[in-house]
Formats: sequence, C-alpha cells, structure tokens
Amino acid sequence: MQKSRFLPRGRKDRTMVLVDIRETKSVKAADIFLQVRPGKDFELLTILRAMIKDQPISDAEVAETGVSIEALQDLVARMKAAKFGAMFFGMGLSMTRGKHMNSAALLTLAAEMNAFTKFVAMPMRGHGNVTGADVIMRWQTGYPFGISFNRGYPRYNPGEFSTVDVLVRGDTDCVFVIGADPGATMPQPAIDHLARVPTIVLDPHVTHTSRLAKVHITTAPAGISAPGTAYRMDEIPLPLRPALKSSYPTDEEVTRRIKEAIQAKPDWMVEGPQRLETQV
Amino acid sequence: MPSVQLLLNAMRTAKQGVQVNVGKESDEYKEIVTTLSIHSKDMEALGVSDGDSVRVESEFGEAEFRCQQAKVPEGMIFVPYGPPTCKLMGGNTDGTGMPTSKGWMVNVEPIEN
Repeated sequence: MQKSRFLPRGRKDRTMVLVDIRETKSVKAADIFLQVRPGKDFELLTILRAMIKDQPISDAEVAETGVSIEALQDLVARMKAAKFGAMFFGMGLSMTRGKHMNSAALLTLAAEMNAFTKFVAMPMRGHGNVTGADVIMRWQTGYPFGISFNRGYPRYNPGEFSTVDVLVRGDTDCVFVIGADPGATMPQPAIDHLARVPTIVLDPHVTHTSRLAKVHITTAPAGISAPGTAYRMDEIPLPLRPALKSSYPTDEEVTRRIKEAIQAKPDWMVEGPQRLETQV
Repeated sequence: MPSVQLLLNAMRTAKQGVQVNVGKESDEYKEIVTTLSIHSKDMEALGVSDGDSVRVESEFGEAEFRCQQAKVPEGMIFVPYGPPTCKLMGGNTDGTGMPTSKGWMVNVEPIEN
C-alpha cells in the first residue's frame, strides 16, 4: 500500500475495520472485525452517531446489535483519532430492510464525523461501469438514476421512475437495454414484464435478457474493442483505448443509428395541449 | 421431510464476477449461482450432506440449490446472485427503487433424489 508523507509506513499506519454479518474473505485484510446481527445496521449506525456526541445509550440497545460496547468505544476512539477516515458501504445496507434509511444513517455519520476529523463515505458499486452511469446521468440531468424524461425534462423519483418499479408496474410498452442483464439480476415480476413487451438488447454476449428479448444486437465490448471511458469507483474517469479490433459496431454507433431511424420516421404526435416542444 | 426456516443472503463473489464476463451460459457460472453456503448444523437439521439439493421457498417463489458446507453463521445461507435468486425476489421496492434481496427468511427443504 502507498507510503506517503503523512503515513510513511503505508499499510501499518492505516487501520481497516470490517463490519459484516459473517466472516468474509476480507477479514484477513482487516485489523478489526465487528460481526453485526443481520438487519441491525441502522441500529449500529445510530448508536455510533450517539456515541461520537457523548449521548446516552442503553446496554439493551447495544446488545441488540451483536457488537460489544467495548468494541464500539474502541471504534469511536479510533474514528475520532484518525487523520482521514473513509467508509465504504454496499448492498448489505441498501438491499436489506431499511434500505435507503441505512445508507442515510451511514452518510449522516460520515457528515457528523467531520466535526472531529476529515471523513468521507463511498458506495461500493457492482460489476462494470455502474459509477460511470451514475456520474454521466448526474452531470447531464442533475440526478444519478430513477429519472423520467416523459415530460420533456428530467424528473427524479426512486420508487416511481426506477427501473424495477417501472417494469413491475408494467408502465413501459418497450424496453431498451444497453450493457446490462436485468434478466439475470432483477426480481421475477420485473423479468416477466421484459418478456411481455418488445425488449431490445445491445450486448457483446448473448445474455439471459437476450433470451427474453425480441431483438439482440451484438456490439463490440467496450474497453476491449470499442473506445470509451470507464469510471473508477471513486469517480475518476479512465479513458480506454481499444486493444483489439472488432467486426461488430459499438453501442454508441448502434444507438445513434436507431436514433436517426426514429427521427426519419413521420411525426406521430397529435397537435394539442399535451404536446411539448422538447418531445419533438 | 424436515423443513427449516433460514435467513437468506444473496451476495456477490469475485468468481461470479469473473464468470459474468466469461459468459453466463458456462457450466461454471451455473454452478456458482446454484450453490448455497450453509452451516454444518443447519445441514444436519435438514438431513442433507455436501452436494445434496435443496428447495428454497420464499414468499414470492422457489428455486433449487446445491448445498455446500461453509464457514457461515448458523441459521443463515449465502448464495451468489443469479437467475435462481431472481425467482425468490419480490417486485416491491418499498418506494426506494431497490428490491429486497438480502436478509429475508426462507423455507428450505431437502429434495429427495
């Protein structure tokens, strides 16, 4: 690990604390492991928020989390004594009961820790360029995901415009999938809707979604035979030069050609008050 | 036939991440996403041994997995995300956009060969 002016001994000057419901492979890399009870993340984070501000907490509340009070006191002392703390969090928080409230508790803890020292929090995203999608949507529309353009301007509302919800409610009569495989990751009711409507897939591989789709277009793999920019999890853009040539078109080219074909079609919208200039 | 209530946690693994890029049609990927890690005492309660098949039933659906004894806490099972876990997930996101895919109680029962 990098040695720096302020941390001359590299890894030895750093402390890694792992919080999980079980001993994962990351335990070997960690200095301290705290085993939290499943579904008790929000309680643990709220107790930590109370402890950093010396607010009273009860033994029963601490016992509920599965972590001892001594371990928590030690953690709080280490967090406050740190020169720069970083919290990484993933689906263990966002996909269990409490969901966004768990993430919100962690982000609030990170914000509140800044009263004592520098602290940041960063979501651990899944495979592929998830960060890139978030970043691009954010600077283009102001929102990272769950965006509807149907009024001609972006509106954000997770739970209403987010992909799973739109599919499960059956709002869409067509689905366009690029560089994703919802057919192998989403809940079954969402997958069922993908099979019901015309689904178009752009992917270098034939995926589970391709099997449900009406159209699959094979494209060149980005970063290998198509140029592009991938975003590292800390939102650093990495321009990628293709190492190999591919006979397949890129995602960008196919999307552009579909857009041109749609634009060449006759205007189907009726004149009336519902017509928005931006929708033309 | 014994049936046991266990806490299911779908998760990611590095091996699964590699196989996603190799191809989801491969036998290796299929094996990864249909193998669940389970504590030895839970296996005893179910009357199954390593490699045996079990049926996992959630509120929303059911799927079949192969058991693999692992160092996991008692009462919990872990399985990498994939088409079988999709069948167990419900479509409700509680207004967050995120389906519940971890930490929910499921019914597990052995499949007789």
